[in-house]
Amino acid sequence: MSANNNSYETQRQIRTKKIVRNIFLYSMLSLFAVFIIVPFYWMILTSLKTSEQLESVDTLLWLRFSDMQWGNYRQAIFSAEAPPFLRYMVNTVVVAAISTVGTILTTVLSAFAFARLNFKFKELFFLLLIMTMMIPGEMFVITNFITVNQLGWVGGGQTYTEALMAMSIPFMTSIFYIFFLRQTFKQVPNELYYAAKVDGTTDFKYLWKVMVPIAKPTIITITILNAMGTWNAYIWPQLITARQPLHRLVSNGLREVASSEFVNETNLQMAAAFMVTLPILIIFFILKKQIMRGVSRSGIKG
Amino acid sequence: METIEIKLQNLTKVFQAKNKEETIAVNDLDITIPAGKLIGLLGPSGCGKSTTLYMISGLLKPTEGRIFFGDTDVTDVAPEKRGIGLVFQNYALYPHMTVKQNILFPLENLKMDKEKALERAQFYADLVGIGHLMARKPVQLSGGQQQRVAIARALVKEPRVLLLDEPLSNLDARLRLQTREEIKRIQKETGITTIFVTHDQEEAMSISDEIVLMQEGIQQQKGAPQDVYDKPANLFVAKFLGSPPINLFEGRIENEKIMVGKAQFGRAEGKKDQKVVIGVRPEGFNIVERSSLKVTVDFVETIGRDTTLIIQKPEGAVDPEVLKAQQEESDEMIDGIEEGSIEETAPEQKATFRAIVDADNRVKPGDVIKLSVKPHKMFLFNKDGELI
Amino acid sequence: MLEEKNNLKAWLYLLPAIILLSIFTFYPIINAFILVFLENYRYIDGSYTGWTLTGNISVVVNSGLFWRAIQNTIFIVFVSVPVSVIISLFIAVWLNSIKKFQGAYQTIFFLPYVTNAIAIGLAFAVIFSTTGGLFNYFLEAIGLSPRVWVSTGASWGRAMFALLVFITWSGLAFKIMVFLSGLQSIDKQYYDAARVDAASRRRVFLKITVPLLSPMIAFITITSFIGAFKEYTAIVGMFGENLNPGVGRNMLITIVGIVYQSLGETYPGATSEAAAAAIILFFMTLILTLFNMWVSKKRVHY
Repeated sequence: MSANNNSYETQRQIRTKKIVRNIFLYSMLSLFAVFIIVPFYWMILTSLKTSEQLESVDTLLWLRFSDMQWGNYRQAIFSAEAPPFLRYMVNTVVVAAISTVGTILTTVLSAFAFARLNFKFKELFFLLLIMTMMIPGEMFVITNFITVNQLGWVGGGQTYTEALMAMSIPFMTSIFYIFFLRQTFKQVPNELYYAAKVDGTTDFKYLWKVMVPIAKPTIITITILNAMGTWNAYIWPQLITARQPLHRLVSNGLREVASSEFVNETNLQMAAAFMVTLPILIIFFILKKQIMRGVSRSGIKG
Repeated sequence: METIEIKLQNLTKVFQAKNKEETIAVNDLDITIPAGKLIGLLGPSGCGKSTTLYMISGLLKPTEGRIFFGDTDVTDVAPEKRGIGLVFQNYALYPHMTVKQNILFPLENLKMDKEKALERAQFYADLVGIGHLMARKPVQLSGGQQQRVAIARALVKEPRVLLLDEPLSNLDARLRLQTREEIKRIQKETGITTIFVTHDQEEAMSISDEIVLMQEGIQQQKGAPQDVYDKPANLFVAKFLGSPPINLFEGRIENEKIMVGKAQFGRAEGKKDQKVVIGVRPEGFNIVERSSLKVTVDFVETIGRDTTLIIQKPEGAVDPEVLKAQQEESDEMIDGIEEGSIEETAPEQKATFRAIVDADNRVKPGDVIKLSVKPHKMFLFNKDGELI
Repeated sequence: MLEEKNNLKAWLYLLPAIILLSIFTFYPIINAFILVFLENYRYIDGSYTGWTLTGNISVVVNSGLFWRAIQNTIFIVFVSVPVSVIISLFIAVWLNSIKKFQGAYQTIFFLPYVTNAIAIGLAFAVIFSTTGGLFNYFLEAIGLSPRVWVSTGASWGRAMFALLVFITWSGLAFKIMVFLSGLQSIDKQYYDAARVDAASRRRVFLKITVPLLSPMIAFITITSFIGAFKEYTAIVGMFGENLNPGVGRNMLITIVGIVYQSLGETYPGATSEAAAAAIILFFMTLILTLFNMWVSKKRVHY
């Protein structure tokens, strides 16, 4: 009997311990989750306040639905003082599309050469690329800025095409993506290549008909990461469009808002900020699985 | 389909590692593979059989020697121009394509008329029995089904030669039996010259018209499976074929008598006195009333109509030095041994041997019995492992 | 055939990437080391008056901004990296030990990865602002007095604190993802074995989880250090191009800040100063990376 009693006690102890532990786990996770969400919440909340509500303690933490100032968004985007946001968005999408298509093309071709073909100096060249990855991008930016200047792509007379070229061509290849895709390509069994060879498939056809479809998840990840990179790009477009504000991208436009007429109207600033945040959030929620798996894989492999 | 003969002439392949070290994978191979036959390339792993297959396919280029398909020298012909179908050990199906797309893929390269291609794909899919699975992706298929798709994909071009690289090794035991019958049937129906590579002697013996046994890149023996089994050319072949394996005894020829210790195994007429290794197939023994081969039974396993006796070797059948050395070696290597790899230096030494006798013989462990040896189940090898 | 080298073909596949990399990566690296030795170089017309060994470097070092930039950079690096690595390691471990809502929490913790640094920087600036800011409200709620954090009059320490909160927030997502996928790849058998051996949770964490995760920890630490050295956009997002809370300039400047500010200038020698700063940054990251690799070689298990 006593043995039974004992084990009953232990069972209960174990259960209590488990409950205590779960309470601890979920409260810690929730605490940090709140920390993560606060900036988003604050952005949306602030963007819907009137100028008076901004300073009022009553409306500090929350707003009634009827009080929400949806007009702030119209004002932030369309008012005469506001920077031309829609135009910036179009610019950004165009630059993202061009640079992503270019990046995918160059990356697929080079990753294939590294993963599948034999050639002289392969290891040496690959090592050189890996070493280059360690060098901070600021080293390149200086000369690239000089180069696009000398090409006449920067300055007061900059045409739209010149701006697009200056903002996309330098980013049409990426050593990291080549490395990343090569890893995926290498996992394709050799026999698939031999089978294709026996059937008389050319390397080029094999690449696009077999390798690329198999590596589709990685290529989609690269597309997303690259497009997101353009959406968040600030420094380079700022340098390129310093004297042609109409050619700016969204991040530059957003920073402009904060330093312009709206400097004290944080509600309008936040409306603009949320407008810039929303598209990536939407894409994220559509492609959530793909993006999250891709990012964690890029981390492990990198 | 036209059937052709394949001729390998002095075929040699030397691989060079990064550090310039050279390994001879295939050494001076001379084989003629008759048209329309199914040939098994058999040998332990690393014996060069797969390399030979890849050279026939054109994926590997021989270091020396020529390959003929019929009268044409194809040594320098690209793989896709040779008219071969190749089935890989892991099937190498394109994972993103359906069964139909997989089978159609080789035809697309030939720029064949779409309708005709479809018709032909369906024909071969039906032939291998996967015609109803055309819309599936490879992951939705069992191993056996994937195997059939791979065969259909290899056949759809109507090649002159079908090459199979370890086609059954990824299947479980039951499927393996079924699939090997299937391969045999498909080969018979199409009449295509077929070469397949395997390390499994039973598999090779059961379906091949002829087997080619290889070791360390060198051809050991070629012939019909039963012929090779009945007349092994050397000790390696004798040891490699047969399950349970052949029994080996240290012995000598003395005055034309085959002696192991004090026991006489038989007569060797016209052969000079020398030390020999005697191989006797397990089915090569009879229990008799009178014989100088008097042995003690250790264990008895009765399975159905056969009884396997595990018997202590007669005195003098085992060289104690060799036995000790081998045991130490095998203790060290126990993890490193690959499937199918066989010691080829000294003959295998064990303190016991197996005899398969009729189950009617009621023998118990501990019994002392007398055995005679069937002369046609006994082979004599000199110290270099050559048949005497 | 298979083992043959396809030199011409392989280099053809690599050609697009090689052209782009040569112009926008390899040449700029070499050129940075040339620019730094040119005297009075002007990128507009490429003119210069001669060569100088240390002239540009000494201008940068003696500019008065340099030591502040070094101080800021080092502070950001050595506070934000350890803090965010430790926090994300704990979050990942907690996340890995819950079953319910794991996906939901994971999604929340991923959010900082899919945002725009400028937009969230603005939101953090509002959170820390004196009018209607959440942080001061929180301080008052727990009985502390409100302070100036990100506007005119903020002290260096407070501005840096606000900045570090933002930087840590941004860095969590990627680290958590990498750690979590690392944890999920650890064989459950180790934990079962430890449980059979009655190891405490602390011991399991220190003796099993951390050692088995050490390759990821090393990877994350190295990349975070490099990333933190290059912090700039976050500062612009929160404080604007003048890198200062409110009016004034450059209180929170970093080495990269010096690079970009010099790059925006047109006076003779400005570009060479940018190159000098970039090269200093390069050597700082190089030393730190080598040190990191040396440490992880000794400490990383397997």
